Amino acid sequence: MKLLVDRDRCDSHGNCVLEAPDVFDLDDEDTVYVIEGVRFEDHTEEIERAVAVCPVAALRLQT
Amino acid sequence: MSPSADHATVDVLSPEVYQYGDPTTNGLPIDLYARLREHEPCYRHTMDDPAMRDSVWVVSRHEDIVRIDRDDETFVSSKGLNIQKFHATGGSMIHLDGPDHRRHRGVVRTAFTPRAVEAYTDGFRSLARRIVAEAVQRETFDFVESIAIPMPLNAICNLLDVPDEDRRQLLAWINAFAVVTDPEMSPSPSAAAEGALKTGQYALQLVEQRRRRPKRDLLALIVEALDLGTLTTEELASLGVLLAGAGADTTRNTLSHAIHELMRNPEQMAWIRRHADDIPREAIQEILRWGCPVIHFGRTVVKDTVVAGQEVCAGDFVAMIFPSGNYDPKVFDHPETFDLTRAHNPHVSFGVGPHSCLGKHLAALEIKILLEELLAATTEIQQVAPIAYARDSRLRGVRSLPVTVARG
Repeated sequence: MKLLVDRDRCDSHGNCVLEAPDVFDLDDEDTVYVIEGVRFEDHTEEIERAVAVCPVAALRLQT
Repeated sequence: MSPSADHATVDVLSPEVYQYGDPTTNGLPIDLYARLREHEPCYRHTMDDPAMRDSVWVVSRHEDIVRIDRDDETFVSSKGLNIQKFHATGGSMIHLDGPDHRRHRGVVRTAFTPRAVEAYTDGFRSLARRIVAEAVQRETFDFVESIAIPMPLNAICNLLDVPDEDRRQLLAWINAFAVVTDPEMSPSPSAAAEGALKTGQYALQLVEQRRRRPKRDLLALIVEALDLGTLTTEELASLGVLLAGAGADTTRNTLSHAIHELMRNPEQMAWIRRHADDIPREAIQEILRWGCPVIHFGRTVVKDTVVAGQEVCAGDFVAMIFPSGNYDPKVFDHPETFDLTRAHNPHVSFGVGPHSCLGKHLAALEIKILLEELLAATTEIQQVAPIAYARDSRLRGVRSLPVTVARG
């Protein structure tokens, strides 16, 4: 499973930050990024929730 | 169910359906919603009223609401959002699509991210404390008038640096345009138009005042957008109408529906009292599901497509019934139960697509802090007269909710 982050689509909704605070954050421009050094396998449920709630499909999972 | 035979009895869009809603079912026609979801998840509703569209598709299932709200290439916002023809917020971001929508949202979005909103916590806490203290010293009061209205009104006014003495006037303008179908809130269509116009003019006036005393905040972002040409003067006025209306006229209703349900439900009231030091996020999300402040928003179809098995054509209008989505048993276990510990709760109260509520994190914080302060200042809250609902099928308004409290 691969996590795809399309920063161009991000519109700063911030839902992912609330669903998976250990994985996602917004940068100085309020655009989503993945926190460095995160082990995805430790956070699969949160990541799935974050992907599901993104209103603009900036986050996607590729299986 | 045969479409022709039952249409006369299935009406989830008339203002009276909500005005005379049953308080024991959250004021909502939940049986009708269930029938629609099961038998006619996309049904044609016709109206014979010059103030309304002639016919709309009513969409009631969670999955279809999510799909329509997310697919802004097939379902657009720029041709109106409601079954009512009047639009106070025309020209603002909620009436725009694609790049125009992002340009408008981009001006203010930085003031509404989770981190930005967290910074408002202390200010909201002192605001809530003051509002609650004033109300509870009277012991018996109207929750809507004394608490639900002042909290979000002052919260958004603080963010926009609106002087205290102007806030009551601003509220009267907002009421006039926000609930146009309720004569108690909006005396006439011309009052609605005037309310929107005055609010827009007031926004421009705020910008001019601000130029004389600069400061870094939400209003500064708006002034900057005007100076850089990102927004025109007209667009700024409509942004002002949107922020004022959405800030003041939605959270007040969610708060009122929430406290009403808590008073009806001693078990849940006891639970939230035990957690009043720091109300968990799940509980706030359940309050948002239950107190969903918008009954419907709609989109215009621009490419022929199929919704829930029904063909819909370019030019048709589809109305998403958000509270029906929040009661969809395919998504929510026992949706008719108000459960502050509900774990899986993908409610649609804020919308779920590109237009998802700009102030969603702000609203959640206002509700959390207000309830925490109210619970801390009281040992008991009881209803002393029936809840009165607004005559509207767009916003789920509460006119009054008389309560009495025992002070803590």
